Amino acid sequence: MNIAERTGRRRLAVGWEAGDRRQVWPWPRLTLAVLAVAACAVPFLLNPYRVFQLTMVLVYGVALLGLNLVVGQSGQISLGHGAFLALGAYVPAVATGPLGLPHPVALPLSALLAFGLGLALGLPALRLRGVYLAVVTLAIAVVVPPVIKRFGAVTGGSMGLSVSAPSAPSWSGLADDQWLYLLVLAVAAVAFAAVRNLLGSRAGRALAAIRENPEAAEVLGVRIAAHRTLVFAWSAMYAGVAGTLYAWVVGFVSPDSFTVTLSIVLLAAAVVGGPDSPAGPLLGAIFMTFVPAAAQGAGDAVPGLVSGLVIILVVCAAPAGLAGLLRMAAGAVARRLGRE
Amino acid sequence: MSAVRRRSAAFPDGGPQGGNDPSAGGGPAGPPFLRVSGLRAGYGPARVLNGIELVVGEGEMVAVLGPNGAGKTTLLRALSGMVRGRGSVRLRGTEILGKAPEEVARLGVTHVPEGRGTFAPLTVEENLRIGAHLRRRSHVAEDMRRVLAYFPLLQAHLRQPAGSLSGGEQQMLAVGRALMAQPRLLLLDEPSRGLAPVTTRRLFDVLRAVNLHDGVTVIVVEQNAQLALEFASRALVMETGRLALAGEAGRLGPGRRVASAYLGPRR
Amino acid sequence: MSDLLLQVVQGLSLGAVYAGLALALVLVHRFTGIVNFAQGELAMLSTYVAWQLLDAGMPFWAALPVTLAVSVAGGMLVERLVIRRVEGGGELTLVAVTVGLLIFVNAAAGLVWSFAVRSFPNPFPAALGFGSAQSGFSALGVLGVVAVVMLALYVLFRHTGAGLIMRAVVADPVSARLAGIRVGRVLGLGWGLAAGVGAVAGVLVAPLLFLEPNMMGGVLVYALAAAVLGAFRDPVVTVAAGLGLGVAETLAGTYVGFVGADLKVAVPLLVIVAVLLLPRRAAETAPER
Repeated sequence: MNIAERTGRRRLAVGWEAGDRRQVWPWPRLTLAVLAVAACAVPFLLNPYRVFQLTMVLVYGVALLGLNLVVGQSGQISLGHGAFLALGAYVPAVATGPLGLPHPVALPLSALLAFGLGLALGLPALRLRGVYLAVVTLAIAVVVPPVIKRFGAVTGGSMGLSVSAPSAPSWSGLADDQWLYLLVLAVAAVAFAAVRNLLGSRAGRALAAIRENPEAAEVLGVRIAAHRTLVFAWSAMYAGVAGTLYAWVVGFVSPDSFTVTLSIVLLAAAVVGGPDSPAGPLLGAIFMTFVPAAAQGAGDAVPGLVSGLVIILVVCAAPAGLAGLLRMAAGAVARRLGRE
Repeated sequence: MSAVRRRSAAFPDGGPQGGNDPSAGGGPAGPPFLRVSGLRAGYGPARVLNGIELVVGEGEMVAVLGPNGAGKTTLLRALSGMVRGRGSVRLRGTEILGKAPEEVARLGVTHVPEGRGTFAPLTVEENLRIGAHLRRRSHVAEDMRRVLAYFPLLQAHLRQPAGSLSGGEQQMLAVGRALMAQPRLLLLDEPSRGLAPVTTRRLFDVLRAVNLHDGVTVIVVEQNAQLALEFASRALVMETGRLALAGEAGRLGPGRRVASAYLGPRR
Repeated sequence: MSDLLLQVVQGLSLGAVYAGLALALVLVHRFTGIVNFAQGELAMLSTYVAWQLLDAGMPFWAALPVTLAVSVAGGMLVERLVIRRVEGGGELTLVAVTVGLLIFVNAAAGLVWSFAVRSFPNPFPAALGFGSAQSGFSALGVLGVVAVVMLALYVLFRHTGAGLIMRAVVADPVSARLAGIRVGRVLGLGWGLAAGVGAVAGVLVAPLLFLEPNMMGGVLVYALAAAVLGAFRDPVVTVAAGLGLGVAETLAGTYVGFVGADLKVAVPLLVIVAVLLLPRRAAETAPER
């Protein structure tokens, strides 16, 4: 029973890299191109509020790309990625504000700092299996707001700090929010490509091996500890970058933006989107952004109610996440088209 | 049944006993005690049992023999509900295939799986009480005395955790716990594995006593063919998911060519 | 009462609450192998039930058993409706489902009772009402109630037939099923018991904090820390750890200037990390697969 369950729920060793994507959906490049064109056209077609929402989708998408490295690829659970997001968000707030550094510095700086923090936390985290890592990272997430408040001299305490975003260069003729959207889109595209590259590489295959069968991987000479630490650090880096983008887009950071709820929702979004799929982060980010927005009108509590329900339903009914459902739907459509 | 015949042709000696006569089991009236028909089962895509036909009469002691991977363990698991199967398993006419293991157990079928019959952190006494948890409390003390009379070795360890017992004692405890449930059908999976010959013999003595005096029907999977044939009233030989051969234990006795073909050369 | 002694007693009473919730976590983990991140929210829900009963004019010591009964039933219902569908799933599945439950229950409480902060009456006598003496009394009361709960659990598990069956299920669910034990119901009962124990923790902590849907967030982290110290297995170590954490937190918050009121919550984090990183313990705490 267990064996059947496993093979039924989890995709086997090589996953989508084996090329089964193409069997399921025959036009991946075309789809990607259409998506890319649509994504570029967004700021010119939609109203500023929608553009803001989609920018947030991309920001969360970058964070989830990172989280998926840990959750989907390394098979570990982090309930603390909000902490890296917070770090990344406070970097531009402090660096370009009080320290007066130029905007372009913020992004690599927060990437570097988050990578370092991820490495520092990833080293001990290696020792922890499964749910213990979840507990530790949850505790980290809980500690973030009080720490920010405690060092109020730098962080502005509970009042928060306002952040100035890079403004559109005059030659482009774009509004600031359009420019920011395109900037975030570019970063997201690079992040996506980098993840694809990583997973296609030797390291990616090692990760797949570790996730599916750590003991066997170890026997084959895969250095589990080194790989897991590095993946955690990479993942933290993505979250840090997303944090910086977040600060730019929202224009304001405060401890209340980075409560434990953010970390929890991030993990939930990763699961809902599909931790094992290239489309997962995007779908998860859409879930994170639009479910609360759509339910907001009905009252304070409704977004949480709906989100919680969606998470439970997805886990119970579609363990491969929304991406899994999409894959099934795509497979059905492709078969249909193929037959006609 | 056709498979049996094919086997019989290959081994002329086995011809007559190759049949699995339904009249061997069951009383003159009513449905037989246990009737297995067309039982197929497996794990995921791997099919292990390929259509088992079997009738066991009340009070029989049946040994199941056969090489590794023949499906002996899976047969017991399918009977007790641990593995899902297709076909039919009727206990006194009641279909038990497809029921959960706990429900099958509540109908009086007790399965002692290989090497996993006891609750290690619980004491010996608690293990025995768990065995009787379905029964009236007033009978428990009496049953406990009876079981301890079968296995006097356990008496000294009543307050010890089961995990601290030796392998042989644990196996005895497992059987003792099964007996506490007063089963109508007792399924045993390789009770002799890892036991000293003396201990094994002692265990089988108890099984025979239970079978004869208490009228408990026993199906025992056993690697030690000689021993099994000595104690059982009937033996079944399994091969690749089918019953290849069945017959009275005496007629399947070691030394016969047919037996050695399935059971390996005589030791 | 001297200041330090009062601090210690208050720390102990807070610790007793952590120990209670941690005990609930251990129960759920032993029965179903799940770390229930929603345990605190279930306790919060129970506390609201108690508040509702008190609000309707029921005396406290009558409302408590009713609350417990409702909580046990609620815990069993959650197991039946949600948890049973994912039992045996991977760790990510289990964490995700309890996290979803956390978000859902939190929002549901907000929907029914709003996110407004309410005060919750203190059940212990204020008769000797000199400030510090009273808080000393209520602290001792909290300790006493938690001690009673633990004793009741001990008696249940060690000296009743139902407890024996539960221990058998925990020891080996497969063998238990073969012995005719309806394991599904027992696991449900385990969740129910845990919810009941958590309810006690919630009702006891509500007067110390305030009643609101997010009240258990911090408590959960302390409880998780205590449960980690007990390797999600050992109830005695878990309770001792809960008490110790309560005292450590109170003392650190009062006497260590750098920690102050803000960083108190970092205490359990440091404890968790320290414990998990001790090499010897790391091996013990690795969850069995």
